[in-house]
Amino acid sequence: MTRHEAIPQQETVKGVSINAVPGTRPVLVDGCDTISALFRLRCAQDPGRLAHREKTLGIWRAFTWGDYWAHAKWIGLGLRRLGLRRGEVVQILSEDRKEWLYADQGIQGVGGIASGVYTTDSSAQLAYILQDSACRFLILENEEQLDKFLEIPDGAPGVEKVIILDDEGLHDLHDERFLFLPELYDLGKREEAEHPGAFEAEIDKARPDDVALLIYTSGTTGPPKGAMLTHENILLSMQAGLRELSVEPGSEQLCFLPLCHIFERGNSVYFPMAARSVVNFAESPETVFENLREVSPHTFSAVPRVWEKVFSRVTILAQEATWSGRMAYGLAMKAGFARADAAAAGRPMGIGLRLAVALAEAAVFRNLRQLLGLDRLRQGISGAAPISPALLRWYHAIGVPVCEGYGMTENAATCTVNRLHEARLGTVGRAMPGVELRIAPDGEIQSRSLANFKGYLNLPDKTAESYSADGWLRTGDIGRLEDGWLTITGRLKDIIITAGGKNITPAEIESRLKFSHYIADAVVIGDRRKFLTALIMIDQENVERFAQDNRVPFSDFASLCRAQPVQDLIRAEVDAVNREFARVEQIKDFRLIDVLLTAEDDELTATMKLKRSFVEKKHKALIDDMYR
Amino acid sequence: MTALLEIRNVETFYGPIMALRGVSLEVQKGQVVTVLGANGAGKTTLLKTISGIMDPEKGQILFEGTDIAGWEPHRVVRAGIVHVPEGREVFPLLTVEENLALGAYTRSDRAEVSRDRDLVFSYFPILAERRRQEAGTLSGGQQQMLAIGRGLMLRPKLMLLDEPSLGLSPLLTQEIFGILRRLNKDEGVTMMVVEQNAAVALDLADQGYVLELGRIVLSGSAERLAASEDIQSFYLGHANEGARGERRWKRRKTWR
Repeated sequence: MTRHEAIPQQETVKGVSINAVPGTRPVLVDGCDTISALFRLRCAQDPGRLAHREKTLGIWRAFTWGDYWAHAKWIGLGLRRLGLRRGEVVQILSEDRKEWLYADQGIQGVGGIASGVYTTDSSAQLAYILQDSACRFLILENEEQLDKFLEIPDGAPGVEKVIILDDEGLHDLHDERFLFLPELYDLGKREEAEHPGAFEAEIDKARPDDVALLIYTSGTTGPPKGAMLTHENILLSMQAGLRELSVEPGSEQLCFLPLCHIFERGNSVYFPMAARSVVNFAESPETVFENLREVSPHTFSAVPRVWEKVFSRVTILAQEATWSGRMAYGLAMKAGFARADAAAAGRPMGIGLRLAVALAEAAVFRNLRQLLGLDRLRQGISGAAPISPALLRWYHAIGVPVCEGYGMTENAATCTVNRLHEARLGTVGRAMPGVELRIAPDGEIQSRSLANFKGYLNLPDKTAESYSADGWLRTGDIGRLEDGWLTITGRLKDIIITAGGKNITPAEIESRLKFSHYIADAVVIGDRRKFLTALIMIDQENVERFAQDNRVPFSDFASLCRAQPVQDLIRAEVDAVNREFARVEQIKDFRLIDVLLTAEDDELTATMKLKRSFVEKKHKALIDDMYR
Repeated sequence: MTALLEIRNVETFYGPIMALRGVSLEVQKGQVVTVLGANGAGKTTLLKTISGIMDPEKGQILFEGTDIAGWEPHRVVRAGIVHVPEGREVFPLLTVEENLALGAYTRSDRAEVSRDRDLVFSYFPILAERRRQEAGTLSGGQQQMLAIGRGLMLRPKLMLLDEPSLGLSPLLTQEIFGILRRLNKDEGVTMMVVEQNAAVALDLADQGYVLELGRIVLSGSAERLAASEDIQSFYLGHANEGARGERRWKRRKTWR
């Protein structure tokens, strides 16, 4: 790269050269200062190398970096031929699939900004995002998403062309405004024939501080905000990932969380590009566990809900096992927990324990990991929401090292993480390389790094609010920092001030509640009220099991929530949590949310967390009932 | 008021396959309760578990307060539950009259039995016409009528009907459900009807349950179920054509 005056010293990590001193500029990965340049390099280095796999008609099919390059190029050039200009946003409305990646790299390659819309978003949300990002080109997956687009009342006049990936059921669609992916590829091929080298030339025009992607963050209040991330932000994130995560050349990964979210985007697009690992696309959100078993990934990053589900399945399996099976599981877990605790304390294991662990491994854990598809896992990551330390300890016990990390869209999900051999349960780890952390006087966690975002699209005021006067990112989270170990205690704006004037961080109480197997999520209420209450979403699977085991009759979900023994069960869980808190912080009453919420509901975020403001609004009657 | 039939947390297996994963429901005296569900939801298994053809692994089946779970089928019949099986299952080589007589096998009050046979004939006049004909030579609809009639001959406290509309023309289905309604209204027969044809079943029933993969996902009054968006699009076939008027994809079920 000749455009930089001085190249900071580089070092090689996992075969990739990156800045030896994290945080120095320019941020380089294998000498590249933009995502697109690195993409070009990776494809040119080894076009025949396996890049990703996708399942078609039940068979995993492999695609190479050469395929990746060709398709991305055609999409980029096709869009350019349709009139896409540098700096314009292209929206992608699709489940995870290889074309998502092709579009991402194609758009960025020609200087566009790639942004994703959740497939679970409503037509109104889609309309808002299209308008907010002045989107002229929309890439959408299929018939279902097309109908969502067509339901937009004013017809989204700003959108000039809609590119449809899957033509199933749409053969009769003939409209100037819509074209299918192969047609876009054809446009791209024609553009390339007429202007050879055009894609490469566009890639060369990119600058590190150009915006490469736009990520809409679910606003808990007001409409979603588009966070702008630059090439440099992502490159710094790649460097941190190479250093701290166990993505390695050739390692297998599974892509299943929405790619519009920074967590999966980094994991499945950018880290694999840096490390040359292999991405496998899950068939659908419903088949994740089957796909996990088929792929048996080396690294697996998931939200706590997923880790909880795996745990529940194992617990249920163990309960249903034969007497000897249950005994073996119990004994093995005892040894496993002892091993996990010894490792956490940095204590060597005694000879007896080592023997017990070897037995447990041979008899139980190895099979269990194989059954789950976690037998090759070098490192699991949990992020995007708090996870129970007890759950992490269980994973360590069965020999699946799951590390909790912390980040947010605004810092490209690059903030802190627990390392494989340096983890502290209950904390979100230590700062990633190149990231500085501090706690402001009001308790807010603030971070400074080259991964911090450029700002919110069209929202200069909100952007200004998100940075402190001296340029640190205000995360909005509050927490403690002890010898570099960060613990999150809550959200700054969620702080409840009770009628008695006491400040309470609900997240601390909520995450304690969530650690119960029977509680999927909870929202603590009590701002300007005399006492605290909670709305609780039960964990369907585990509570149903409880009801079955205890002969509690129920029919549908609502009747399950109504059942007195279930109410008593949750009350006992709430009481147990209450004992850990001071009087004013105790929950005096609670109600169960008796509808089974899905990702389409406003009350849930894409990562299946309850959204406080929506929950408070939608279930006002339940709340009022508790304060009557 | 205690329910005539109360099922609590019933789990039934086919070998290692769990067909009912904890089903609880109630049938009040004099009511028609319908259980809807797609193929393989566990509807037939549920009826078989009640009538004793299959034994539940877990759970209680309280009939008039007595737990009949695991009873032999003949005891269940004597307790007053009759099962009209799927696919009619009349005795093909016996005449209509003989089939009806078998339905009254457990009864000894001859005069009453003969009154009940006349009652069956009054509801199903076609059976009276064909009383000496072999049941196997009847049409599908007539066989269904005979199967119901045979069930009535027991003078049951509860009648379990497994897909009475199966394989019948829409017109015949209407006719049979019309007769079931009259039997319920005029004779006070309590029924539990398992159906795939949600429209006729909800029209007849007072209460309904939706069974999916061995679990109840929705329950409520028949009106409430008929008004549910999920029932409308997945069971009643009310199509939302979408913006293009030719939508093929199905939205996800939420059951509320």
